[in-house]
Amino acid sequence: MAVDMSMPVLVVDDYNTMIRIIRNLLKQLGFEDIDDASDGSAALSKLREKKYGLVISDWNMEPMTGYELLKEVRADPGLNKTPFIMVTAESKTENVIAAKKAGVNNYIVKPFNAQTLKTKIEAVFAE
Amino acid sequence: MALADASHFDRLVDFLKQKRESVTFHDIIALAEVSAQSLQSFFQAMDAKVYRELREIAGYIESMRHEIGALQVNDLKNTRIPAAGEELDAIVQATEAATNTIMECAEAVMAADAGDPAAYKALVEEKMLVIFEACSFQDITGQRIAKVVETLQHIEERVSRFADVMNAKDIDGFLTEQERERAERKEKFMLHGPQLAGGGVDQAKVDEMFP
Repeated sequence: MAVDMSMPVLVVDDYNTMIRIIRNLLKQLGFEDIDDASDGSAALSKLREKKYGLVISDWNMEPMTGYELLKEVRADPGLNKTPFIMVTAESKTENVIAAKKAGVNNYIVKPFNAQTLKTKIEAVFAE
Repeated sequence: MALADASHFDRLVDFLKQKRESVTFHDIIALAEVSAQSLQSFFQAMDAKVYRELREIAGYIESMRHEIGALQVNDLKNTRIPAAGEELDAIVQATEAATNTIMECAEAVMAADAGDPAAYKALVEEKMLVIFEACSFQDITGQRIAKVVETLQHIEERVSRFADVMNAKDIDGFLTEQERERAERKEKFMLHGPQLAGGGVDQAKVDEMFP
């Protein structure tokens, strides 16, 4: 399945520079409708207001982590089908396993490059 | 240590054997005198032992005062640790400023119209120069980090020495409620932070888990 570049994407990170990096990479890939949130709870509010085609989230944020956001999204019948990619510096095996168990579609370890982001997005929409 | 002189007790026994039938007030006084003599050496020995122990305690307290002084806690608390904190703040600010500058340049180049090759080339050259300048933050940052590392080593040396001299044992638990909450949050949400080389899985390993 081809990736629909017109779909809204929500980028969740507490570090402005990282949001800017991901935004620029997504723009380069052809995405135009990109929003951002600085933690899980802000992201959850946005997800309940607007239909997003993809969530790209960091893990370690306050007050709500990306892991909690993922579990909230998967527990919400209106959101549970939203593709979710974790982009994080949390690279312990237990984190990857926990995220997979919670229903993450893919996992990117920081620092990452544009090609990895592109490949992962394509892989998620090829499922 | 002998608690009392045994010869005094022998004298008491002999005395009581002789005076079994007719003990007078004078005899009782004499008896008390002999008893007091027999316990004198016990009290002398006890005094010496208590004195020695108190002297040892005083010596230990004096040595502890010296070791606490050697920690230089006031210098650490009032000067070194705040200075290290300021250096780290400056590092964060410098890195953020440099990143912003570099990203602004990259964004300007990406958004530029390449239709006029000469103008585009001039813009790229100008922005590249700004990027080179922004990268100079690394030299200053390296020096700041060296100062923080020096402070950490200073603290480590003193704390290690203190722990060795005092034969300190760790006590479980948390110093404050906030410390406990932070630790519990880290544990609950698996917040380990970035790992050093070999400490976590790399992207290739992650990819194997998402076939």
